[in-house]
Amino acid sequence: MAPTASIKSTKKRKAAAVEDAPAETSFPQEVGLDLGSEGEEDGVEGDDEDDGEVDEFPEIDAGSDSEEEVEESEDEDEEEEEEEEEDSEDITDVDDDIRPFPISKTVISDITGQPKRVYPEIEPDYDSDSSTEDAPNRVGNVPMHWYDDLPHVGYDMNGKKVLRPARGDELDKFLETVEDPNSWISAFDKTAQADKPLTPEELDLIRRLQEGENPDASYDPYEPTVEWFTGKGKEEVMPLSSAPEPKRRWVPSKWEKQKVMKIVRAIRAGRIVPNKPKSEKPQFYSVWNDEPSTHPAPLPAPKPRLPSHAESYNPPEEYLPTEEEKKQWEETEKEDRDRDFLPQKHSALRLVPAYNQFIQERFGRQLDLYMAPRIQRKKLQIDPNSLIPKLPSPASLKPFPVYKSLSVSHQKGRVRTVGISPDGSWAVSGDESGVVSLWEVIVGREVKRWKFDGKIGAVEWCPRMDVSFFVVAIEDHLHFVVPPNLHPTVLSATLAVLSPATLPPQPDTPSPVKWTSVAAASYSADKPLLSIALPPSSGVPKQVTWHRRGDYLATVSGGEGQGGVWIHQISRRHSQAPFKKVKGVVQLVLFHPTKAHFFVATQRYIRIYNLAEQKLLKTLLAGIRWISSMDVHPMGDHLIVGGYDRKLCWFDLELSDKPYKVLRYHTRAVRSVHFHPTYPLFASSSDDGTIQIFHARVFNDLMTDPLIVPLKILRGHEVKEGLGVLQAKWCPRQPWLGKLSTVKGGMADPAKWSHCASDAA
Amino acid sequence: MASELSHPVVFTTATPYPLPSQKFMIPASWKRYQLSQLVNKSLSLPSPVPFEFLVRGEILRSSLGEWCQEKGIGEEETLEIEYFESVMPPQKMSSIPHEEWVSAVSCQVPGYFVTAAYDGQVRIFDYSQQLLRTIPIHDASATSVVVIGQPSASAEHNSYLIASASHDMTARITKTPFGGSDSDEQSAVTLASLHLHTAPIASIASNLPGSHLLTASWDNLIGIWDTIIPSADEVPADDAPERKKRRKNADNSASKPKRKAPIGVLKSHTARVSKAIFSPTASNKAFSVGFDSTVRTWDVENAVCTDTITASSKPFLDIAISPSGDFVLAASTDRTVTQYDVRSPTLSTAALSTATFLHPSTPSCIALPSGSSSNNNANTNNNSQQFITGAYDGTVRLWDRRSARSAVTTLKVWEGQNHGRKILSVDWSESGVVGIGGEGGVEVWRVQGSGDQALGLGGVVRAAAS
Repeated sequence: MAPTASIKSTKKRKAAAVEDAPAETSFPQEVGLDLGSEGEEDGVEGDDEDDGEVDEFPEIDAGSDSEEEVEESEDEDEEEEEEEEEDSEDITDVDDDIRPFPISKTVISDITGQPKRVYPEIEPDYDSDSSTEDAPNRVGNVPMHWYDDLPHVGYDMNGKKVLRPARGDELDKFLETVEDPNSWISAFDKTAQADKPLTPEELDLIRRLQEGENPDASYDPYEPTVEWFTGKGKEEVMPLSSAPEPKRRWVPSKWEKQKVMKIVRAIRAGRIVPNKPKSEKPQFYSVWNDEPSTHPAPLPAPKPRLPSHAESYNPPEEYLPTEEEKKQWEETEKEDRDRDFLPQKHSALRLVPAYNQFIQERFGRQLDLYMAPRIQRKKLQIDPNSLIPKLPSPASLKPFPVYKSLSVSHQKGRVRTVGISPDGSWAVSGDESGVVSLWEVIVGREVKRWKFDGKIGAVEWCPRMDVSFFVVAIEDHLHFVVPPNLHPTVLSATLAVLSPATLPPQPDTPSPVKWTSVAAASYSADKPLLSIALPPSSGVPKQVTWHRRGDYLATVSGGEGQGGVWIHQISRRHSQAPFKKVKGVVQLVLFHPTKAHFFVATQRYIRIYNLAEQKLLKTLLAGIRWISSMDVHPMGDHLIVGGYDRKLCWFDLELSDKPYKVLRYHTRAVRSVHFHPTYPLFASSSDDGTIQIFHARVFNDLMTDPLIVPLKILRGHEVKEGLGVLQAKWCPRQPWLGKLSTVKGGMADPAKWSHCASDAA
Repeated sequence: MASELSHPVVFTTATPYPLPSQKFMIPASWKRYQLSQLVNKSLSLPSPVPFEFLVRGEILRSSLGEWCQEKGIGEEETLEIEYFESVMPPQKMSSIPHEEWVSAVSCQVPGYFVTAAYDGQVRIFDYSQQLLRTIPIHDASATSVVVIGQPSASAEHNSYLIASASHDMTARITKTPFGGSDSDEQSAVTLASLHLHTAPIASIASNLPGSHLLTASWDNLIGIWDTIIPSADEVPADDAPERKKRRKNADNSASKPKRKAPIGVLKSHTARVSKAIFSPTASNKAFSVGFDSTVRTWDVENAVCTDTITASSKPFLDIAISPSGDFVLAASTDRTVTQYDVRSPTLSTAALSTATFLHPSTPSCIALPSGSSSNNNANTNNNSQQFITGAYDGTVRLWDRRSARSAVTTLKVWEGQNHGRKILSVDWSESGVVGIGGEGGVEVWRVQGSGDQALGLGGVVRAAAS
């Protein structure tokens, strides 16, 4: 078999060699021949394979390259087999011509006596002639780049150097490419030092790599499936597991059904249109066909301001800042400056220094790019005027006192206190030397004068309109004095009140307070009609205050430990001390105008007592270190408190026990505060010699806050010995103010009383 | 000067010094003095007479050019300028010191001054500052005094009725002879006391014939009284202190004064009434002012208020009425004197208040040249434009109604004295004598309007010289 195969293969090789150049179409015929001959001559072994191959790919084009290569590779395999066979078997060949290699003969060597192979002499015929071939380079399997620097490239059979053949220049190369049609499939062979055309295998390899296929030509990606378990007799009869078949294998899927139904419903509802006509969008359209836009063109960016002369490197003199301007510029905040540079004068452009704000400016820009504000503004940009509460203008709140209309003087001694009659016609003032003067308010004439022993602590007019008298408080005594020139009915009523014909019965418990009165028949205007002797050593009463009805009056004396608060009732001629013990020194007391409440001010606190129920209602915390004065609004819901520490607090009694407002307008201690009985005004007098007039409107509506507007500062009082305006009181009917102060030292009148009238002009 | 701006001007006058009615070209820089010189020279008057010039109802205070500029009047416009003799600077004639404050002064009787003082006494002086009589009419301060009736009518009799008001809530009518002295056999007799008020009486006023009196009181009432002395008490005498008071009075008056009741009461004021006066023209009309900032017009016969002018927050202190009865002047405590037109009852107050005269201090009193003089010549026209006010700062101001901006002239009283200088009363007789009463007593000044020389002022001058 082997010889036939080898013959066939040589034939085939020859055929290949011969038919390499002619058209490949002839090649399948040859193959077909081969197959046929093989099928004839081959044994059983290869039969299956070949049949399978042919059966498997009947449609494959026999003329394709791959087929040919398959054949070739098969051929090569066969050749190798043949060689082995040749090696193993010693077969004398019949046909020498066809043999590729000379067949050796094994002979017994004459010399050694050993068998040796003897090859026949090579006949130098065409087949064996190698003289036309170039001497092959026998350098061996070494990298050729070793010879890059050498003139030779290897060695021939004789050990001679094979010199590097001369290479043509670029022109030669070009001509070669033009002349030789195979030059595009040839490559430089370093071993041979010449351009060798690539073999078809190499070309095929290149093609495979180019097309991204597997470079191995023998790899078949489309190998036929091997059916191991399919087909008759190959089925698996036994199951792989004994688990029962799951239900899902035969029950239709609920979820699929739901999904399908969802789609069905959508189709029914028209949400899904099955054959939706494709909206025809024109592929091309005219850019200019649309109507021109009616929107205005976007605003162009504002033009940067042109640089002024001040920005010149050599500005005129008038643009240069003065020293003050420079200082002011440096002192202003960076963001508040009106311009961010100072004009500087340089005589020449080359003298202009580098921009010293470069780093800062770049940093700022980068902060801007980073969406970060350039500066952290701590200052709030609030218009200070907007923070001022909207107050009505004082001109719209007239009338209020604006100027000094009159001033009258006491001869000597400080005027401590003033009282004004309820009809506003008369005023009475008392000084420290014991003189009490009665004045006519409008004209300012002293109508009458009384002299008492000792300092006058307080004078206060009885608020009743049907009677007319006032109380003078001196050391340990209260004197009730009737002014002159009363109408007979008023006078008789006054006498009846102060010195009744039948005295009320004495209370059971004897009081330390003694009431003595002159009989009405022996009345004279020069003497007090009624006197109350307070307990001895109680000191000068600091304050006398009347209840609104004029029957009760309360006095506060300084000296006593009890606080020295007494409430006197005229009609019963009875006095009582309402407090057994008082914490702190009582400064002031006050009757509530409408309720049976009683305000007691100690140094720091104001306590409100209910006299009817005899209990403490509330304690107000003024935040004043030393309370000096207090007055309650005629409506009764508001209280103002003045302190020696210059503060004036307004309490809303409904609101809180903390001040609703604290006014700090006086520069010295507040001496007195007083609400106007009818007009919405109040006044505060101070040791700084001023009286401040405020508009104080109180609303019946509980939701509206009281409106307090400062109106006017009345000046003109001299401050003497640190004492300014000691008391200020309003005339009840008119916007006039009685005030008093210690002024004018020296010999002449050390005290002064004056009033102010409203001015509409 | 010649190239300067000039105005065409036509001069008119009511004085006996008329200029020919032709157009003058007056340089714009000219002031009153130059204009006055022009009039004097063109008329070639024997003695220079100063003139004041009225341009469109305003007294010229600046130069003509400035005035035109202020009013926006073009150069070409012809201005009509009226001129009249200017007021001579007032001269102080005499000073009559008083122990007490003088609350009222009256110089309506030629040759005499009547003063009411805070000690309740009424004093009579003649022009030679001689105290003729001291009449202790009241116990308490007298606030007002008025001579009842026409002074000239009973001149030969030389005995007058005077009415006085006081803080003791009464007003009294006293018959007193002027002239002579207390030591004479004739003495003053208080004939009647007027009982109505329950508060001090602020003022008393009589009408021109002297038949009726008006009292204004602090108890918001105005009393109307006739001057007939009743034969018996019309008001029952009341209780003890009143009797005691009268007992005191009895020392000076032989017979008790009759207690007289009012014939009418005007009540409408809501606050103290400070003054009530009769209209000089209509006998049944009266005006009053009060602290309730109203000026009220009254029908006296029916005792009803016919018209009310309500000012805003102006408590009024005094009122005076022009002799023609056209307008009233009211002084208020807001340091203004306001002129109200009372000719026809109008509704709007703004239209009524025609001019406001600002004072630096409270004006307490106003006087117009006395209303009785309907006798004489053209200068009543002039005088009716002028009035004087006295203020608490001791200054009497003479105003012209036509120039509200500043007073024509001012006179300061009691200068150099250390007590207060409040002026409580002023009176201006038709002869140009101004009596000023106040804290420092009485001062007499002569304010010489034009043509006043003819009257009895010579006596004053002589008296002052003596």
